[in-house]
Amino acid sequence: MTLRAFLLVAAFLFSVGIYGLLTRRHAVALLLSIEVMANAANLVFVAFARFGGAPGQPLVLFALAVTVAEVAVGLALVTLLYRRHGDALLDLASEAKG
Amino acid sequence: MTTALGLALLCLAAPLAAAALSVVIPPLRQRGTPAAALTVLSSLMATVASLALLRIGPGPGAAARLTVPWMVVQGRALGEVGVRLDGVSMPMLAVVCLVALAVQVYSLEYLRSERPASYGRYFTYHALFLFSMNALVLAPELLQAFAGWELVGLLSYLLIGFHVERPAAGRAAVKAFWMTKLADMGFLIALLLLFVRTGSFGWDVALPQRTAEAIAALLFLAVMGKSAQFPLHVWLPDAMEGPTPVSALLHAATMVAAGVYLVVRVDPLFAQAPLTREGMLWVGTVTAAFTALLALVQTDLKRVLAYSTCSQLGFMVAALGAGSAFAAFFHLGTHAFFKALLFLAAGSVIHAVHSNELSAMGGLGRRMPVTTVTFAVGALSLAGVPPFAGFASKDTVLGALEGRAAWIPWTLLISTAFLTAFYMGRVLVRTFLGRPSEAAAHAHESGLVILGPLVALAIPAAAGGILGGWLARGLGTEFHLHLGLTPVAASLAGLGGLGVAFVVYGRGGEAPLAAKLAALDRYGAIDRTWTWLYRRALLPLSDGLRWVDRYLVDGLMNGLGWGTLKAGAVIRPLQTGRTRDYALAVVVGAILLLLLGGWR
Repeated sequence: MTLRAFLLVAAFLFSVGIYGLLTRRHAVALLLSIEVMANAANLVFVAFARFGGAPGQPLVLFALAVTVAEVAVGLALVTLLYRRHGDALLDLASEAKG
Repeated sequence: MTTALGLALLCLAAPLAAAALSVVIPPLRQRGTPAAALTVLSSLMATVASLALLRIGPGPGAAARLTVPWMVVQGRALGEVGVRLDGVSMPMLAVVCLVALAVQVYSLEYLRSERPASYGRYFTYHALFLFSMNALVLAPELLQAFAGWELVGLLSYLLIGFHVERPAAGRAAVKAFWMTKLADMGFLIALLLLFVRTGSFGWDVALPQRTAEAIAALLFLAVMGKSAQFPLHVWLPDAMEGPTPVSALLHAATMVAAGVYLVVRVDPLFAQAPLTREGMLWVGTVTAAFTALLALVQTDLKRVLAYSTCSQLGFMVAALGAGSAFAAFFHLGTHAFFKALLFLAAGSVIHAVHSNELSAMGGLGRRMPVTTVTFAVGALSLAGVPPFAGFASKDTVLGALEGRAAWIPWTLLISTAFLTAFYMGRVLVRTFLGRPSEAAAHAHESGLVILGPLVALAIPAAAGGILGGWLARGLGTEFHLHLGLTPVAASLAGLGGLGVAFVVYGRGGEAPLAAKLAALDRYGAIDRTWTWLYRRALLPLSDGLRWVDRYLVDGLMNGLGWGTLKAGAVIRPLQTGRTRDYALAVVVGAILLLLLGGWR
């Protein structure tokens, strides 16, 4: 296993995340896509820590905590969206549009 | 001196308060009588104050001022407003207030048949007029004089058009307004020129020759408009559409004389402009002679008096041109009294026979004795018969021309004096003597409220001449009548003119002479020229300016607003409000940045 393989997997995961972000309309799917992108970044951190000796592991733990908080807020928003519109499609949240 | 200045302020404050109350509290105006009472009361106060000023005001050669700076910007005032009392403003103030009071009392009865709201409106205008005229007379600087000048012009317009239901009155009002306004441009430009050159609006300044000539000539243009000098005189006869007391006060005694007053006021300025004075001498002479001829052929009593006013103003302007401010001022004063008297007496006649036409009158002497006697006093004074006031002042005017050896104007004006006496004789005979017409046979003498002012004005019209010496001292000059060429010629012209008129018209009716003289009435031609200029020059110019304003100036502003709206509409779709679009923008941006980074 080489650094290159890890980076390729991370790039693939990040691309999957972007693709999901741009194509899906359901808010939960969007949150999942963002999670995948965040974890691609985390993977890069730990890969460099393992092969390059960079001190990235504490940062990954920190990033995980932030991601969890973000998901908590995100899911709360999804719940509100669902209660308000009976569905969780993000495009429904258009009240503030001029 | 404080008391004097306080009294001067009262002359401004009382009429202004009367006008303001009548305007702000509509019932006063709409009921009519309260506004009339307020106005007459305020005029009475102003008159008493102005007469008291003659006793306690500053003596000959002295002046008192009470001014406040006006429009202070960065510690520097544009000009000063307030009052100035001296030998010029105090007599004028007294004349204006006295005549105004007489005319207002007279109007109480004369306009009694008007609707109450019109009655109130009339007196409100009168109060405002007295304020404006006094502001003009007392002006310490030309800036305030200009404001007063324009205000009296506005009130002239309002009062000529007082009979709003008569189209002719509306047309006459508009004509008076735009003709005088055209001339007033000269005043405005002169003011700007004076301010640019001296930094103030004071008139007691030494100026370079050419500047002085330019300012004096521009001011004289305004004077020609206001004082109805040829060829700008055409508005004054039409102004007779206004009620007769208005003609007496504004268009004979005071407002039209404001032009002459202005020149007397700024005499130091005109003294530096000999060329303009030369022009004034000729304009005055031509106006006097020409309009006297026109007065001869009028069949409308008021129009005779109107042309006579033009003619007498011509005498004053000629005197100003000859460099004698005193002669002009003296004639202004006596003219104010006898011409106001003539108009008011004419109004009394018109009131009795319900017509302005001379043919509707005749034989009124028996039926209206007081009106007849007072009118005759005014007519003799105007004709320059000694020892009436008009003789003293007209003789002073002619004497000024003689003193300057201006023999052609002198001859013309002596002839005009003859004509003046002749047309006044014609009016006297045709109105009061001879066989009465149908309307005149049933005429009755007017009431006391109308006769009172007539008698009051007849006194100064007859004996005002004795005030000449006092008036002259106020202006720093001297006055004495001496037996010489001018007084003899003037007396002969006056008596001769009257005598010839009595012979020519004594048989009753119009003389065949008049039919031939009617061809002289070139008034029509001059009037048509002005109408043509109005239609072909002023209106197209206004249309052009309106086009520029509507399509260029407004277009620019509207175009800016329209462009902003349109531009907003074009770029608004970029902001869709959809998360995905923003995410795509972020991703595309990130990829572009990456590519840019990789390129390096």
